[in-house]
Amino acid sequence: MPRAKGIVGLLLAVLVLATACSTRKPRVTPDIPRPEASADESTSAAGSGTTVVHAEPAIGAAGTPELGVSASDLPTDLQELNRAGYLKDVFFDTNKADLRDDARDILAANTAWLKQHPNVRVQLEGHCDERNTEEYNLALGWRRVFAVKDYLVSLGVDAARLGVISYGEERPFATGHDESAWSQNRRVHIVITGR
Amino acid sequence: MRHLGTFSVALVLVASTATAQEEIYLKVTSPGLQRIVIGLAPFASRLGVDPVAASQFLNTLRADLDQTVVMGLLPEENARLVEAAPGNPGLTRQRWRAVGAQLLLEGSFSGAGNQLVVEAQLWELTSGEIAYSRRFQSSTSLAPTMAHTLANELVRLLTGKPGPFLSRIAFISDRSGAKELWLMRWDGSDPQQLTTHRSIALSPAWSPDGQRLAFTSFLRGQPQLFILRPTQGSFKPLSTLPGVNTSASFSPDGSQVAFAAGDGGSTYIWVVSSEGGTPVQLTTTRGISTQPAWSPNGRQIVFTSTVGGSPQLYAIDAEGTNLRRLTFQDTFADEASWAPDGVRLAYTTQVDGRFQIATLDLRTNQRTVIDGPGNNESPCWSPDGTMLAFVSTRTGRKQIFITDPVGRPRQITSEGNNTQPSWVALVQ
Repeated sequence: MPRAKGIVGLLLAVLVLATACSTRKPRVTPDIPRPEASADESTSAAGSGTTVVHAEPAIGAAGTPELGVSASDLPTDLQELNRAGYLKDVFFDTNKADLRDDARDILAANTAWLKQHPNVRVQLEGHCDERNTEEYNLALGWRRVFAVKDYLVSLGVDAARLGVISYGEERPFATGHDESAWSQNRRVHIVITGR
Repeated sequence: MRHLGTFSVALVLVASTATAQEEIYLKVTSPGLQRIVIGLAPFASRLGVDPVAASQFLNTLRADLDQTVVMGLLPEENARLVEAAPGNPGLTRQRWRAVGAQLLLEGSFSGAGNQLVVEAQLWELTSGEIAYSRRFQSSTSLAPTMAHTLANELVRLLTGKPGPFLSRIAFISDRSGAKELWLMRWDGSDPQQLTTHRSIALSPAWSPDGQRLAFTSFLRGQPQLFILRPTQGSFKPLSTLPGVNTSASFSPDGSQVAFAAGDGGSTYIWVVSSEGGTPVQLTTTRGISTQPAWSPNGRQIVFTSTVGGSPQLYAIDAEGTNLRRLTFQDTFADEASWAPDGVRLAYTTQVDGRFQIATLDLRTNQRTVIDGPGNNESPCWSPDGTMLAFVSTRTGRKQIFITDPVGRPRQITSEGNNTQPSWVALVQ
């Protein structure tokens, strides 16, 4: 039967392709303390009607790990480098791609580190919780990635250093089916891909 | 072939069996209509006929004839009451009619070695006339396919459209450990794995002629759109635009593919020749546009857009003009699938935080939400428009269901998670 032969041929062909591409990204979720209060929080606490001014990149803010480590001091192994948690992920509200204030703080800290390590290249991965259709979530993850990319670029990071991909709901960090899992999965995960 | 449309309408005025509480997805028959009852007479078999092939043929035929919207098999206990009148086939047929058959399929097997010949006649018992007569010949290994072909023709005789029995459903399954592209028969049997990328495969879409499957794969890192010819094993990229390259939909003539891809942080609907080439951007609204579905007449494309805030269904002419919103009553509307009649859409809506299937009649704007257990999404019409496939979590993981002849859901997958069905009449 020609159909069966064709499918077998296809399977062989894709098997060859697949062997080269089967690495799975490690799920690195570094547990780093938050940067201290940013300009955001202090200004908004000062009183109503205050214009929220976003912080300058929080260079040297407490909690940003090991600032001042030169490129040569960074681990050479990329997996190890990612595990070290120099760059923090940012999280999103349900169905939203807008950057929250905490996300802006994290990205400011990330920017500082990226400026200190100008050879580092990263991939921004957009992720979503499971509560939308698969295709919609791919598009939503894409929006989240660009919200992060555009903000980093606005803070002075060279766009050429920032790779982008959306995984939608396809690579969840937490596998549960409740808000505690979903809130972990609405994120842009930042992976160092070169140094 | 003679068409029996008027005959079927005249014959089936019997009370409906569906009750209001049932989870009915499609009322394909008018209220008060019931399926035509068909009797299956014992097939005579010549010496030398492969008994295994003959029994495969009959088992397949019996199963098929009982799984359509338009007809149902005469119950076995009724059929058993019929005593053949030797030398008087007319009297025998009257006895079939007396126990409730409206149509009678008679047949015989012949052929030897690896050949099977089936001669079949369909009798309309009210008038006593032959409605259909045909001879099939093939290798014994194709006995089930012969039965499906005959069953398809009997449905075509009653409805003007062939039955679903050779149709197949492409879908995504993670049963092998990664999301791969799979293919199965319409009833869930005979699953075949089409990709072994060990990456992420998504959004399969058939070309209407059943020759090509478009789908999204992360095989090369970024999600890209690919075209696969399952019967030939050829596989090539169709779009490597930035962004998502997802939710492909073929134009009805198979010449073009609409899909969603990004530009900046937005996703738009694009159209590309199904043979490849430079994609053309069809929509320009920023935000999320995804999930295009080409109308059966080729003139318009329905898609999902967040231009008004929440995801809603919009239609645009295939030339990129005349954008209009279709859904107004939903907090969320996505994954539109056109019925082959070009009048109805099935789509995924949200009710009380759960996904549910809804249908929208574009002539009357009548919206119908089907309230099923769990989350229900990704509706896809059968090629003849009499059934829906969809994905439900009602039994735990995501599984594909199809609607049975009266529109009730029936689970057809069980291993792993199974999602995103795309249904085609015949794989060629």
